Amino acid sequence: MAPAPVDAVFNALADPTRRHVLQALASRDSVTATGLAAELPISRQAVSKHLAALSGADLVSSDRVGRETIYSLRPEPLGDAAKWIESVGAEWDQRLGKLKRSLER
Amino acid sequence: MSCESETVERTETFDATPEEVWESLTDDDRLSEWLAEDVELEPFEGGEISVRDGDGERSGTVETVIEEERLTYTWARPGEEPSRVDFTIEAVPAGTRLTVIETAISGPVAIAEARWRPRFEALRRGLALVLA
Repeated sequence: MAPAPVDAVFNALADPTRRHVLQALASRDSVTATGLAAELPISRQAVSKHLAALSGADLVSSDRVGRETIYSLRPEPLGDAAKWIESVGAEWDQRLGKLKRSLER
Repeated sequence: MSCESETVERTETFDATPEEVWESLTDDDRLSEWLAEDVELEPFEGGEISVRDGDGERSGTVETVIEEERLTYTWARPGEEPSRVDFTIEAVPAGTRLTVIETAISGPVAIAEARWRPRFEALRRGLALVLA
Protein backbone atom coordinates (compact mmCIF):
# COMPACT_ATOMS: atom_id res chain seq x y z
CA MET A 1 0.00 0.00 0.00
CA ALA A 2 1.25 3.50 -0.80
CA PRO A 3 2.01 5.66 2.26
CA ALA A 4 -0.97 7.65 3.53
CA PRO A 5 -0.99 11.23 2.27
CA VAL A 6 0.36 13.36 5.08
CA ASP A 7 -2.34 16.00 4.70
CA ALA A 8 -5.11 13.38 4.89
CA VAL A 9 -3.66 12.34 8.24
CA PHE A 10 -3.54 15.91 9.54
CA ASN A 11 -7.06 16.49 8.34
CA ALA A 12 -8.33 13.37 10.07
CA LEU A 13 -6.63 14.46 13.30
CA ALA A 14 -7.93 18.04 13.18
CA ASP A 15 -11.26 16.99 14.69
CA PRO A 16 -11.26 16.52 18.51
CA THR A 17 -13.96 13.82 18.39
CA ARG A 18 -11.90 11.85 15.89
CA ARG A 19 -8.93 12.04 18.23
CA HIS A 20 -11.18 10.59 20.99
CA VAL A 21 -12.19 7.76 18.63
CA LEU A 22 -8.49 7.10 17.94
CA GLN A 23 -7.68 7.07 21.66
CA ALA A 24 -10.50 4.61 22.31
CA LEU A 25 -9.16 2.43 19.47
CA ALA A 26 -5.60 2.68 20.78
CA SER A 27 -6.60 1.19 24.15
CA ARG A 28 -7.68 -2.16 22.65
CA ASP A 29 -6.82 -4.51 19.80
CA SER A 30 -10.03 -4.13 17.85
CA VAL A 31 -13.61 -3.02 18.32
CA THR A 32 -16.93 -2.62 16.51
CA ALA A 33 -18.56 0.75 15.83
CA THR A 34 -21.32 -0.19 18.30
CA GLY A 35 -18.70 -1.02 20.93
CA LEU A 36 -17.02 2.36 20.40
CA ALA A 37 -20.33 4.24 20.54
CA ALA A 38 -21.04 2.64 23.92
CA GLU A 39 -17.94 4.31 25.40
CA LEU A 40 -18.03 7.66 23.67
CA PRO A 41 -20.61 10.42 24.14
CA ILE A 42 -21.57 10.28 20.46
CA SER A 43 -24.03 8.28 18.37
CA ARG A 44 -23.30 5.04 16.50
CA GLN A 45 -23.80 7.02 13.27
CA ALA A 46 -21.25 9.67 14.32
CA VAL A 47 -18.78 6.94 15.24
CA SER A 48 -19.19 5.38 11.76
CA LYS A 49 -18.62 8.73 10.10
CA HIS A 50 -15.43 9.36 12.08
CA LEU A 51 -14.21 5.81 11.41
CA ALA A 52 -14.75 6.42 7.69
CA ALA A 53 -12.63 9.59 7.83
CA LEU A 54 -9.92 7.77 9.78
CA SER A 55 -9.98 4.87 7.29
CA GLY A 56 -9.59 7.40 4.47
CA ALA A 57 -6.34 8.53 6.09
CA ASP A 58 -5.24 4.88 6.56
CA LEU A 59 -5.27 5.38 10.33
CA VAL A 60 -7.85 2.68 10.87
CA SER A 61 -8.21 -0.70 9.20
CA SER A 62 -11.45 -2.65 9.04
CA ASP A 63 -12.24 -6.35 8.70
CA ARG A 64 -15.59 -7.94 8.18
CA VAL A 65 -16.22 -10.78 10.62
CA GLY A 66 -19.62 -12.34 10.00
CA ARG A 67 -22.17 -9.51 10.08
CA GLU A 68 -19.93 -7.15 11.96
CA THR A 69 -17.08 -4.87 10.96
CA ILE A 70 -14.14 -4.88 13.34
CA TYR A 71 -11.94 -1.78 13.42
CA SER A 72 -8.36 -1.49 14.59
CA LEU A 73 -5.75 1.25 14.79
CA ARG A 74 -2.98 1.57 12.19
CA PRO A 75 -0.44 3.88 13.81
CA GLU A 76 2.05 4.00 10.90
CA PRO A 77 0.69 7.14 9.14
CA LEU A 78 1.03 9.13 12.38
CA GLY A 79 4.76 8.56 12.19
CA ASP A 80 4.81 9.69 8.55
CA ALA A 81 3.00 12.92 9.43
CA ALA A 82 5.33 13.68 12.33
CA LYS A 83 8.34 12.95 10.11
CA TRP A 84 7.05 15.37 7.45
CA ILE A 85 6.72 18.23 9.97
CA GLU A 86 10.11 17.49 11.46
CA SER A 87 12.04 17.24 8.19
CA VAL A 88 10.33 20.19 6.47
CA GLY A 89 10.80 22.33 9.59
CA ALA A 90 14.49 21.41 9.83
CA GLU A 91 14.99 22.26 6.14
CA TRP A 92 13.52 25.77 6.62
CA ASP A 93 15.56 26.38 9.78
CA GLN A 94 18.70 25.57 7.82
CA ARG A 95 17.71 27.64 4.75
CA LEU A 96 16.69 30.70 6.81
CA GLY A 97 19.98 30.52 8.69
CA LYS A 98 21.84 30.64 5.38
CA LEU A 99 19.60 33.46 4.14
CA LYS A 100 20.37 35.48 7.26
CA ARG A 101 24.10 35.08 6.71
CA SER A 102 23.67 35.96 3.04
CA LEU A 103 21.65 39.13 3.77
CA GLU A 104 23.58 40.41 6.77
CA ARG A 105 27.18 39.81 5.75
CA MET B 1 -10.20 21.61 2.94
CA SER B 2 -7.32 22.67 5.11
CA CYS B 3 -6.28 22.84 8.73
CA GLU B 4 -3.45 24.64 10.45
CA SER B 5 -1.58 21.57 11.60
CA GLU B 6 -0.71 20.40 8.08
CA THR B 7 1.71 23.31 7.74
CA VAL B 8 5.19 24.25 8.83
CA GLU B 9 5.67 27.95 9.59
CA ARG B 10 8.85 29.89 10.30
CA THR B 11 9.46 33.61 10.81
CA GLU B 12 12.81 35.39 10.71
CA THR B 13 13.71 39.08 10.90
CA PHE B 14 16.64 40.34 8.83
CA ASP B 15 18.72 43.49 9.09
CA ALA B 16 17.92 44.23 5.44
CA THR B 17 15.37 46.12 3.32
CA PRO B 18 12.26 44.47 1.84
CA GLU B 19 13.87 45.07 -1.58
CA GLU B 20 16.97 43.06 -0.59
CA VAL B 21 14.86 40.24 0.86
CA TRP B 22 12.73 40.17 -2.30
CA GLU B 23 15.87 39.89 -4.41
CA SER B 24 17.03 36.97 -2.28
CA LEU B 25 13.70 35.23 -2.94
CA THR B 26 13.53 35.81 -6.70
CA ASP B 27 17.04 36.19 -8.15
CA ASP B 28 18.62 32.87 -9.15
CA ASP B 29 22.14 33.83 -8.00
CA ARG B 30 20.87 35.06 -4.61
CA LEU B 31 18.63 31.98 -4.27
CA SER B 32 21.60 29.67 -4.77
CA GLU B 33 23.21 31.26 -1.69
CA TRP B 34 20.55 29.84 0.63
CA LEU B 35 17.64 27.88 -0.88
CA ALA B 36 19.62 25.17 -2.67
CA GLU B 37 22.81 24.73 -4.71
CA ASP B 38 21.17 25.41 -8.05
CA VAL B 39 17.89 27.33 -8.38
CA GLU B 40 16.00 28.56 -11.40
CA LEU B 41 12.88 30.60 -10.72
CA GLU B 42 10.76 32.54 -13.22
CA PRO B 43 9.33 35.31 -11.03
CA PHE B 44 5.90 35.65 -12.64
CA GLU B 45 2.58 33.85 -12.18
CA GLY B 46 2.70 30.52 -14.02
CA GLY B 47 6.51 30.60 -14.17
CA GLU B 48 8.56 27.51 -13.40
CA ILE B 49 10.77 26.82 -10.43
CA SER B 50 13.40 24.12 -10.37
CA VAL B 51 15.67 23.44 -7.43
CA ARG B 52 18.63 21.05 -7.35
CA ASP B 53 20.53 20.11 -4.26
CA GLY B 54 22.74 17.37 -2.87
CA ASP B 55 19.64 15.43 -1.83
CA GLY B 56 17.85 15.65 -5.20
CA GLU B 57 15.61 17.81 -7.29
CA ARG B 58 12.25 19.56 -6.93
CA SER B 59 10.18 21.41 -9.47
CA GLY B 60 6.94 23.32 -9.50
CA THR B 61 4.99 26.39 -10.55
CA VAL B 62 5.06 29.99 -9.35
CA GLU B 63 1.55 31.02 -8.25
CA THR B 64 1.67 34.51 -6.70
CA VAL B 65 4.13 37.35 -7.29
CA ILE B 66 3.53 40.64 -5.45
CA GLU B 67 6.81 42.51 -5.51
CA GLU B 68 8.42 42.93 -2.08
CA GLU B 69 5.29 41.52 -0.41
CA ARG B 70 4.37 37.98 -1.33
CA LEU B 71 5.67 35.03 -3.32
CA THR B 72 4.05 31.60 -3.50
CA TYR B 73 4.91 28.50 -5.47
CA THR B 74 4.28 24.78 -5.42
CA TRP B 75 7.07 22.26 -5.51
CA ALA B 76 7.53 18.51 -5.37
CA ARG B 77 10.21 15.88 -5.67
CA PRO B 78 9.60 13.47 -8.56
CA GLY B 79 6.83 11.04 -7.63
CA GLU B 80 6.02 12.75 -4.33
CA GLU B 81 2.96 14.80 -3.43
CA PRO B 82 3.48 18.55 -3.91
CA SER B 83 3.47 21.19 -1.21
CA ARG B 84 2.91 24.94 -1.41
CA VAL B 85 5.52 27.42 -0.20
CA ASP B 86 4.20 30.86 0.78
CA PHE B 87 6.54 33.80 1.60
CA THR B 88 5.28 37.04 3.15
CA ILE B 89 7.57 40.07 3.49
CA GLU B 90 6.88 42.87 5.99
CA ALA B 91 8.89 45.96 6.87
CA VAL B 92 9.42 46.17 10.66
CA PRO B 93 11.46 48.63 12.80
CA ALA B 94 14.35 46.11 13.06
CA GLY B 95 14.48 45.57 9.29
CA THR B 96 12.38 43.08 7.34
CA ARG B 97 10.35 40.18 8.61
CA LEU B 98 9.97 37.12 6.40
CA THR B 99 7.38 34.45 7.11
CA VAL B 100 7.50 31.17 5.23
CA ILE B 101 4.68 28.63 5.37
CA GLU B 102 4.97 25.25 3.69
CA THR B 103 1.68 23.35 3.37
CA ALA B 104 1.00 19.84 2.11
CA ILE B 105 -1.46 20.37 -0.74
CA SER B 106 -4.88 18.88 -0.07
CA GLY B 107 -5.31 16.94 -3.31
CA PRO B 108 -5.32 13.56 -1.57
CA VAL B 109 -7.75 14.89 1.08
CA ALA B 110 -10.12 15.97 -1.67
CA ILE B 111 -9.85 12.48 -3.17
CA ALA B 112 -10.57 10.84 0.17
CA GLU B 113 -13.53 13.19 0.67
CA ALA B 114 -14.93 12.42 -2.74
CA ARG B 115 -14.62 8.74 -1.98
CA TRP B 116 -16.52 9.03 1.28
CA ARG B 117 -19.04 11.77 0.47
CA PRO B 118 -21.59 9.45 -1.19
CA ARG B 119 -21.58 7.29 1.94
CA PHE B 120 -22.08 10.33 4.20
CA GLU B 121 -24.94 11.42 1.95
CA ALA B 122 -26.52 7.96 2.10
CA LEU B 123 -26.10 8.01 5.87
CA ARG B 124 -27.76 11.43 6.15
CA ARG B 125 -30.66 10.38 3.92
CA GLY B 126 -31.08 7.22 5.99
CA LEU B 127 -31.13 9.29 9.19
CA ALA B 128 -33.66 11.72 7.75
CA LEU B 129 -35.96 8.81 6.93
CA VAL B 130 -35.61 7.35 10.41
CA LEU B 131 -36.28 10.70 12.05
CA ALA B 132 -39.20 11.67 9.78
